Amino acid sequence: MAGLELRRTGGLSADSLFRRITGTGLLVLGVALVGLIVAFVGYSNPLWAIQSPIDFLTSATWSTGTIDENGQVVDALYGALGALFGTAATSLIAVLFAAPIGILAAIYLVEFAPPRVSAPLTFIVELIAAIPSVVFGLWAAGDLSNRLRDTIEWWIASSFGRFIPFLSEDPESPAADSVFRAGFLLAIMILPMVVAVSREFIRSVPISLREGYIGMGATKWEVIRDVILPTARIGLIGGVLLALGRAIGETVAVTMVIGNAEGVPSSLFQPGQTVASKIASNIAEASGEIAIGSMAALGLSLFLLTTMISLAVRVLIRRFAFTGGRA
Amino acid sequence: MSMQTGTIAKLLTQPTAGERARQRVNWTMRILVGVAAFLAILPLIALIAFVLLQSAPFLVPSFFFNNPLDTSPGILNAIVGSLQLTGLTVLISGPIGIAGGVYLSEFASPRVVAIGETAIDVMLGVPSIVAGVFAYLILVPVLGFSGWAAVVALSILTLPIMMRSTQEVLRLVPQAIREASLALGVPVWKTALFVSVRTALPGILTGVILAFSRALGETAPLLMTARGTNAENWLDFSTTMNAIYQYSAAADDLLIGQAWATALVLMAIALTINVLVRGRTVNSRTA
Repeated sequence: MAGLELRRTGGLSADSLFRRITGTGLLVLGVALVGLIVAFVGYSNPLWAIQSPIDFLTSATWSTGTIDENGQVVDALYGALGALFGTAATSLIAVLFAAPIGILAAIYLVEFAPPRVSAPLTFIVELIAAIPSVVFGLWAAGDLSNRLRDTIEWWIASSFGRFIPFLSEDPESPAADSVFRAGFLLAIMILPMVVAVSREFIRSVPISLREGYIGMGATKWEVIRDVILPTARIGLIGGVLLALGRAIGETVAVTMVIGNAEGVPSSLFQPGQTVASKIASNIAEASGEIAIGSMAALGLSLFLLTTMISLAVRVLIRRFAFTGGRA
Repeated sequence: MSMQTGTIAKLLTQPTAGERARQRVNWTMRILVGVAAFLAILPLIALIAFVLLQSAPFLVPSFFFNNPLDTSPGILNAIVGSLQLTGLTVLISGPIGIAGGVYLSEFASPRVVAIGETAIDVMLGVPSIVAGVFAYLILVPVLGFSGWAAVVALSILTLPIMMRSTQEVLRLVPQAIREASLALGVPVWKTALFVSVRTALPGILTGVILAFSRALGETAPLLMTARGTNAENWLDFSTTMNAIYQYSAAADDLLIGQAWATALVLMAIALTINVLVRGRTVNSRTA
C-alpha cells in the first residue's frame, strides 16, 4: 500500500505533513523501545561495577549488604538465581498444564463443537483473558490456592514425593504458599491465549487436506492426529511460546500466591519467588544506585527473555506462512 | 452360494476388530477434547461465583459513593482514580498509536513495515512490570512517585496494542476505494483520513476500547509509580481500584470484604467492555 503517494510536490505540502505526523507515531514507538533498552542497560550499570553478570545469574544470595564505619555499603551480593528459578519453574508448570488442555480445547471448538456451542464457548474462553490479574490473584489467594494444596498438590506429593525430594511436601503442615500453586494459577491465566492462537491455526488448515484423508477412510481423530496437528504444528508451538512469554511477565497474581521467599526452594511445594514478583516486592525499598541497579538488572533479564520469545514467535509464524497451512 | 453372499454382506457391514479399536480411540478422544474444553471454561465460572459470593454483603450503594475513610467506607476515590489514569493513558497513547498504524498501513515502505511490525511484536511482549520499572527508573527520580509515571508506563503497554489493531483493520479496507478517491483528485492525506480511516473507524475504536480495558486491569506498573503520590499533584490518581492488591494480606475482615467487592467492580467493568466490544466483532483478532 505504499503506492498511495502518487506525486511528490516540493516543500511541505499537506500530504507530506500528514505523512510526517503519522510517521511520528511510529517513531514514538521506536523511541520507546530504544529508550527501554538504554534505560535498563544504563541503570543496571552501577551493579556491574561491583559484581559480574555471572554472579547475578548464578548466585542464589540476595543481600543488600551492610554499611561499614565509613558509610560504604559492603558485602552486597545480588544473585537472582532463586528468582530466575522461580520464573522458569512457574512458567514451565503453566505451559505444562495450559498447552495440552488449551490445544485440545481448541480442537474441540474447531472440529467437534456445533456452531451454536462453539461460538459462545469461544467467547467465554476469551473473557477469561479480560479478567484483571489482580482479581485472579485475590481469587487464588482466597480460594484456589487452598483447593490446589488439598487436591493436585497433595496427590503429586503423596505419589511421587517419596522418590523425588523435589516433589515432596510434609502432609502434616503443607506450606502456606508454593511455587507449584503460582504456576498452576498462571496456567489458568494463559489458557485463553493458547486456545485463541491454536484455534486460529487449526482453522487455517485447508479443508481439502481433511477431506482427502476422510475419503481414505480415516476417523475424525485420525484426521486430527495425522493431518491437522502436523500441519498446524509450527503455529501451535508459536502460540504456546507466546503464552510462555505472558507467564514469564505476570506479576501481581503470582506475587499474591508464591510466598516471596528468597533462594531456590527445596521443593516445588515450597514458597519461592519469580523475577517479576521480586521486583514487585523489593522495588519500594530500593534506594541507592546499586539497589536500583539490581532492580534494573531484574527488569533487563525479563525484557531480554520476553524479547527473545517475541522474536522467535515472529520467525516461527513467518515460517508457517511460507511452508503451508494457510494455502 | 447364498451362504457366501451372506458372509460377504456380513464382512461388509460388520466392523473388524481393528476398525472397532479405531472407533474406540476416536470416541475416547472426542470425549477427551470435550473435557478439555469444559476445563478451559471452568476457572471463569469458579472465579465469578466465588467473587460474587464473597463480595455480595459489601455491595451497598454507599460503597460506590463514599471514600475509604468515611463512616461507611467506599471506593469512590479509587473508581475516579482508575478512570482518570486509564482515560489519560488512552488520550496519550491513542492518537500516537493510531497515527503509527495509519503510517504503517498507508505510507511505509515494505522495509519500514517489516521493522515497524517487529518493533510492535517486541513491545506487545513487554511485561507490564518491565514498563513499570522503566517509568520508575526514568521518571520517579524526577517526579517522585506519581500517577504521571503510571500514565507513561501504561501508555507504553497500550501504544503497540492500538498501533497493531489500527494497522490490521486498515489492511482490510479495499484498495479499490482508495484508488477511487485518488482518481477523483482527492489529496493523499484526505484519502487516508476520510476514506481509509473513516471506513476502518469502528475497528480502530474497538482497538482503543480494548486498550482501555487492558490499562484498567493493570496493577503491576502502579506498584512502583502511582503508589505514594504527593498530595500537591493537581490530579490525584494515586489510588486506583487495583490498590486492592494491598488488602489481600489484610487481617481486617472489612478490608478483605472491600477488596472482594472492589475486585467484582473491576472485573464487571472489564467484562462488560469486552462483552460489548467482542459481541459486535466476534472474530476480533486484535488482542
